Amino acid sequence: MDDATIRRAQRGDPAALEEVLRDLAPYLGRICGAIALQAGDDALQETMVNVARHLGSLREPAALRGWARRIAVREAVRAATHGRDVPVDLAGVDPAGLDPRRVVGDGSTAVEVRAVLESLEPDQRAVLVMRHLDGLDELEMAEALQVARGTVKSRLHRARAAFRERWTA
Amino acid sequence: MTTWTDLDAAAAGDRWPVATLDPPARGRALAVGLPGAVVHEVVIDRPIDEVWAFIADLERSVPTFDRDVADLRITRRDGHRLTARTRSPWRVGGLPMRFEIDLEVGWCWMVSQPNFYVVAMAAAPEPGDPSRTRYVHVEGVARRGRLLQPLLRLSRWRSRRHVAHDVAGIAAALDATATPVPPPTR
Repeated sequence: MDDATIRRAQRGDPAALEEVLRDLAPYLGRICGAIALQAGDDALQETMVNVARHLGSLREPAALRGWARRIAVREAVRAATHGRDVPVDLAGVDPAGLDPRRVVGDGSTAVEVRAVLESLEPDQRAVLVMRHLDGLDELEMAEALQVARGTVKSRLHRARAAFRERWTA
Repeated sequence: MTTWTDLDAAAAGDRWPVATLDPPARGRALAVGLPGAVVHEVVIDRPIDEVWAFIADLERSVPTFDRDVADLRITRRDGHRLTARTRSPWRVGGLPMRFEIDLEVGWCWMVSQPNFYVVAMAAAPEPGDPSRTRYVHVEGVARRGRLLQPLLRLSRWRSRRHVAHDVAGIAAALDATATPVPPPTR
């Protein structure tokens, strides 16, 4: 997505605005889908509404994805917490690091992945998605979640452990 | 160029849960970003196949339900990308317009050239009742700016009436093509 298109969208050019939303949809869809699960489509719609409403306030076009990511994470966690969530029992979990992309091998199915994600809390799903599907570091995740860096670190640690525990159960 | 249909197909085949934006949701989001446009949402008591078969035939459907369009001609087809020229029935102020169109299943996105007027027609099965269709119509002047606010307010007022008429026209046209239900036999 080039800066000129984003600038045109900010000025209300409809073709450019549609292009921006279409370009962001798969990226934000992965965030909303993995965090909000059943409520993912609703979260994505709310995210896109907010992106369209506030796009004019974005100062630097280069910051579009990070800015939109913050909106998506916020909307997805909000949507997820309105639904049924299964709290994670952290007793006895292995604190070793884990990469979901390695655990979720070619033989796994969408149903299996969803079942494991459903067993995590929304904020744990958020850090897993941002770390392992989006490659964000702790500082970037802290900014997206609007929490302290130490909080992200502990959430990620617990989320990895919980994910592995559920996956290997 | 990646279409919305391509994105939906990719999401459906992904092992990770990927949220998607159905056509009515796209329409709602775009309407928010276009201060001169209005959005009108209804549930049509017909399945999406029938609704979309009517709407997607733009040369026939648009002049049927839009009183500002006497004629619409597709001048170029390239997959889902179309170019169309419309002619107004009004002798005063009724200039011909050219539209660039993205026509996919459930989604018709029309932007005038020059780039100042937009129409979006979006449809999806009604959640929980696939025999009915959720229809979202977005239309209006696609400009923003503080100095244009009075003009945009006037445009929205005019567009609200126009869009309500369009949507009523679509429902009426679908009713006219409905297969009559035979009376019960004794």
